[in-house]
Amino acid sequence: MTDLRDARVSRAQFFRMMGGLAVAAAATACSTKPETTATTGGGSAAGVDLKFLGVADQKAPMDELLAAYKKAKPEVRLTASFAPTDQVQTSVRTQLGAGNAPDLHVVYPGNGSAMSMTQIAKAGLLADLSAQPWTQSIPTGFKPAFQLDGKTYIYSAGSSVIGAVYNKKAFEKAGVDAPPTTWTEFLAVCDKLKKAGITPIALGAQTPWVTQLITYALVPSTVYAKDPTFDDKQLAGQTSFAQSGWRQAMEMYLELQKRGFFNDKPNGTTFEQQISMVATGKAGMAVQVSAVLPDFRKAASSPDDLSMFPVPGADDANQVWIPAGVVVGLGASAKGQHVEEAKAFIDFLGKQESINAWAKAIAAIPLTQDSSSTIDPAVQSFLPFTKDRAVPFMDQRWPNAEVQPVHFAVIQELLAGKSTVDEALKKMDEAYKK
Amino acid sequence: MTSLTVQRRSAVSRRRRRFSANSPSWLFAAPALVVYALVVLYPAAAGVVYAFTDWSGIGQDMSFVGLANFGALLGDEQAMGSIGNTLLLTVAIVAVQNGVGLLLALGVNAKLKSRALLRVIFFAPVVVSPVMVAFLWKYVYNPDPSAGLNGLLGLSVDWLGDPSVALWSIAGMVVWQYAGYSMVIFLAGLEGVPKELHEAAMIDGAGTFQRFRYVTWPLLAPAVTINLMLSTIGGLKLFDQIFAATNGGPGYATETLSTVLYKQAFVFGKFGYSTAIALVLALFVAAVSLVQVYYLRNREVSA
Repeated sequence: MTDLRDARVSRAQFFRMMGGLAVAAAATACSTKPETTATTGGGSAAGVDLKFLGVADQKAPMDELLAAYKKAKPEVRLTASFAPTDQVQTSVRTQLGAGNAPDLHVVYPGNGSAMSMTQIAKAGLLADLSAQPWTQSIPTGFKPAFQLDGKTYIYSAGSSVIGAVYNKKAFEKAGVDAPPTTWTEFLAVCDKLKKAGITPIALGAQTPWVTQLITYALVPSTVYAKDPTFDDKQLAGQTSFAQSGWRQAMEMYLELQKRGFFNDKPNGTTFEQQISMVATGKAGMAVQVSAVLPDFRKAASSPDDLSMFPVPGADDANQVWIPAGVVVGLGASAKGQHVEEAKAFIDFLGKQESINAWAKAIAAIPLTQDSSSTIDPAVQSFLPFTKDRAVPFMDQRWPNAEVQPVHFAVIQELLAGKSTVDEALKKMDEAYKK
Repeated sequence: MTSLTVQRRSAVSRRRRRFSANSPSWLFAAPALVVYALVVLYPAAAGVVYAFTDWSGIGQDMSFVGLANFGALLGDEQAMGSIGNTLLLTVAIVAVQNGVGLLLALGVNAKLKSRALLRVIFFAPVVVSPVMVAFLWKYVYNPDPSAGLNGLLGLSVDWLGDPSVALWSIAGMVVWQYAGYSMVIFLAGLEGVPKELHEAAMIDGAGTFQRFRYVTWPLLAPAVTINLMLSTIGGLKLFDQIFAATNGGPGYATETLSTVLYKQAFVFGKFGYSTAIALVLALFVAAVSLVQVYYLRNREVSA
């Protein structure tokens, strides 16, 4: 009791102390500006800290290329962090909104999502990359994904395709000798797998972005093969989801479910479970984007068991088209403190060997190719389509960020039997008009 | 006798005077208030401004749109639909969480040997991050018949994937996590029930249930008030668990006001509109809890 009394601070002292703490707290709160430009004097190249915030798919290629860049430019320190697809929009957008964007960050090609090139470039937050040599060789068909008003704002290593990732051993076990080339054959293959006691198609529809892949795989054949200018007409208001082959694609999606070709309860199944089902041969295939092929291979006992084939969305093999989209890329922040250094890094990524390395790491088709470019054997079967029977992923030309999540939701409702194709398409058309 | 009373009364008034004038007790709170104002009140007030703009969340483009965002909310089918989910979820959580919490409290208040351990066990989920709980329950709710709850109960229910069940599955995991929290508050309330009253009731021949109904329950009223208010606020604002477990799906089955405002801001890039929803939600939560506290406080009795 006595020492407590002795240790007592006077009221004035107490207030001074607390006031000091509050000021200190306020001061730290205001000074959380990232410490950059640790300028070492002497005119030599100053050490530069660059920050990169990417999406999980970019980790493998970025790690590899960062190590290479470090050797070439030791004075640049680039710290990279990665977030899952579902969360990247929050983390990057928050930083963009707060005005402390990382020097380099993930950007989705084209338009149609809140982190897409068009949306961010419009806000003036992406540095213009047009002066870099690699931008000269962007294929014409891909330009809308890379450019806004003729200026290039995003780097991407190439394109990926959506198709069926399949387990060769499971196919052999079911007596399927060759991947199907028409819709009828596709159904027949599924039937054989089912009879062999193998789930024909693994579907992890609890993970929202997975829901879209089957429609995306079918729509090129049911919509664009019949009318390659569909996007323009839709933008002009001359056609809609409900009036187009989208209806047929959704009905085909549901037919697969009706015939029992999906795993039980797809809405309760996640992307990770989907991978494991195919990798272990419990399921025959999964409709997926080729960029995640490495994940399937990692989960399989032998990576060579897995390959891919285009999902045939038509009964005439010549009318089968495929979705081939520019893979998620990166941009340099126009408002950062190291715009030039960030652009220099992208310039490095634009070199052919960097493009090759990146494309290899994610089983993509390199943006530009030379003799040293390798194309993953699993996507070889897609190459004949890429010239004139491939269309970009549908969302890249959607006018706003709302259509895609509506698509996710209506597919889940359809799978749960809580909606009809009519209602689903109506909701998507409404979102499109917003 | 009289002098003593007078003396005491003057002592009380002296103390009161000292506290109100000579010792301004609120000054002790001032440092905390300053920090609170800087990091909570100011950003909140600044945020309100965005509710009247069309800010996209990035860039400088922003113009004031008056009440347009609030008008849009009224016409927003999805946001309006989510209000129903929010209320259903809140009612379910408030009822079950407090019911279970009360039972747990009565249980571990009994003279059991293991009661200290049981208290720890029931309280443990409260300290786990809500997102972790959601991930944990995603495994428990796995529809695979050999896994989780389905295997355990021999059911074939798609807990998180069936739109008609998903909302209740979310409520279930929230109750699992926070029933222990309600329990602790009820336990504190039970501590305040005098033994003498129970003894007197026993002498009068009251059985266990009657003693609970007429002695314990009325005296628990303050704990009930706190618990109902906290769980109502928690239910109305629920976000983490839903976001991590279902992301508002399947379809729109578990979409609540919180997930809608999150999506408007970060997925659709409509920051202004999202702030408007947040403002409405905050006012709604404040109103509901004030009414609740006012009503429940009036029913409280003291021993």
